[in-house]
Amino acid sequence: MSESSTPETQSQPRELRWGIVNIYSSFNNILIHVTDLTGSETVARASGGMFVESGRLEPTPYAAMRAAGYVMEIARQKGINAVHIKVRAPGGVKSKTPGPGTQAAIRSIARSGVMIGRIEDVTPIPHDSVRKKGGRRGRRV
Amino acid sequence: MSSPHGFFVVNVPPDRLPVLIGQNGEVKRRIEALLGVRIELKSDQTVAEVRLSRPVSEGGDPVALLKGRDVLTAIATGFSPERALRLAKENEVLSLIDLSEFLGRNPNNLARVKARIIGTSGRTRRIIEETTSTYISVYSDKVAIIGAPEDVKAADEAVRMLVRGSPHSAVYRFLDNYARRRKLSPKFY
Repeated sequence: MSESSTPETQSQPRELRWGIVNIYSSFNNILIHVTDLTGSETVARASGGMFVESGRLEPTPYAAMRAAGYVMEIARQKGINAVHIKVRAPGGVKSKTPGPGTQAAIRSIARSGVMIGRIEDVTPIPHDSVRKKGGRRGRRV
Repeated sequence: MSSPHGFFVVNVPPDRLPVLIGQNGEVKRRIEALLGVRIELKSDQTVAEVRLSRPVSEGGDPVALLKGRDVLTAIATGFSPERALRLAKENEVLSLIDLSEFLGRNPNNLARVKARIIGTSGRTRRIIEETTSTYISVYSDKVAIIGAPEDVKAADEAVRMLVRGSPHSAVYRFLDNYARRRKLSPKFY
């Protein structure tokens, strides 16, 4: 990722320590995972379920906000002061729309005081894929 | 200046382009002003690019970028700009169902399934919209739903049931149950 394109004129001319915030947002939960730029070293992570008691509250904006706040707090302590954001939905044969918590999470990251670089959608889109789960007769409830 | 922030590319079919632009670009301008985004249309192409009008470091709202994409996708899947702009509010999500994932290549089959979702003069679609307080658009081979997350989930399930061949009565029953449950449980979104 080219950092040359980012504006150099920040209010504080400190050295930028970049990280990536990976947001996996489904209709059942949200996972927020901060890594370094390579994406292979975890800095901090949290899920929606860590902040609410009941399962149906896990994907809510509130849980997402708390999770993002928690994760960014740790990331800041570890010296990350600028992040790229990668959002994804389950993708593949599953839902390609990110869940309800995404926007709250991003807003919470923006409020945490770190600089935000790129925002990307990294939902896996199949070019051709395996059969959707559920079988020929569909989901029976 | 090349923006350091990402942008999103949205496919807009040719017949939806005029809707997105509006008279003398009015609709496009309204979306841009409301969300603080910039929409770039490539002439003779059917894609639109959304990016923030100001970078986040200068006060741009990163959430607006995602909202902008959703609004454009909604307009591209048949929503009127007025209905699509519901997505600019907080806690409204857009769900897209691609009917071609469920059906074969037969155009008659697609027409049949779309007819099942819409119903006689829009009856079924209206019932789903009203019981779940969502907006639904059936356009080309896609079904798009706008609403609060929990409601969208229910409407989505109802549409999927219809696609799979559940009788309409069963779908209405499912929706009734959902509406009852929604009334009982406190709103948590």
